[in-house]
Amino acid sequence: MRTTQPALGKYICGMVASLVIALAGGWLILAPFALGYQPYGADWTSQTVNDFVMGISVAVVGLASFALFFYSLLGALRAAGVLISAPRPQPQVPVQHPPMAAEPQASALSQSDLDRTLATLAAALAADLNARRQAGSDQKSDQPVDQFVNRSET
Amino acid sequence: MYVRDAMRRLVSPGSYILFLLFLAGIWLTISPFAMTTQPSGTHWIASTINNVTVGVIMIAISLLGILGYMLFALRDLIRETQSRQAIEQQAVESPVDQ
Repeated sequence: MRTTQPALGKYICGMVASLVIALAGGWLILAPFALGYQPYGADWTSQTVNDFVMGISVAVVGLASFALFFYSLLGALRAAGVLISAPRPQPQVPVQHPPMAAEPQASALSQSDLDRTLATLAAALAADLNARRQAGSDQKSDQPVDQFVNRSET
Repeated sequence: MYVRDAMRRLVSPGSYILFLLFLAGIWLTISPFAMTTQPSGTHWIASTINNVTVGVIMIAISLLGILGYMLFALRDLIRETQSRQAIEQQAVESPVDQ
């Protein structure tokens, strides 16, 4: 059975760009000392101050951008069903069952048939949607609809 | 889909931050000349070369990030719309007998 692939390229693109820029910010912090244009023991020159402040800002903002893209990626993975969020513990509420009413057996049988038919229809529709998402727009096939109609007729 | 909804999907909050970093790259590139730490008429000093290089890299990477995100999101949007249209067309051509 084929499954849908979540579109993750845009998030990865943003994450890579943000990470590279954050690393550039780190280099800006180190550059005045690594390249030697800040004399040791002297007051910081205006270029050193500018590079240091810009480096810290760029690193922090770049990491924030990375976090935003990362959380968007997690959201997309959750929406695609790849990741499952942890279920929250819910308090047990006692359920009061109503007294069982005596239903006719014929009604129960027809309800069971209806449930089965609806379940078949839902499964066929889900398979059809998955197949279409995978195949893309340019591949048209008549089979899923035929199956859908056949199953609904049965 | 309205234009506003499409733009919301094409431009993420992270893209706005990348645009801020694009502006920071522009400032880094011009800062040696704006702050007059680069002597006029001489070869570029080490800090000027460093700032211009890092600034240009930041400009290029942030633009690539913004445009890449927009292109990928646009591709997803087009695929989604085409898939929806194909399903609707198929439903019209062969309606299911109830």
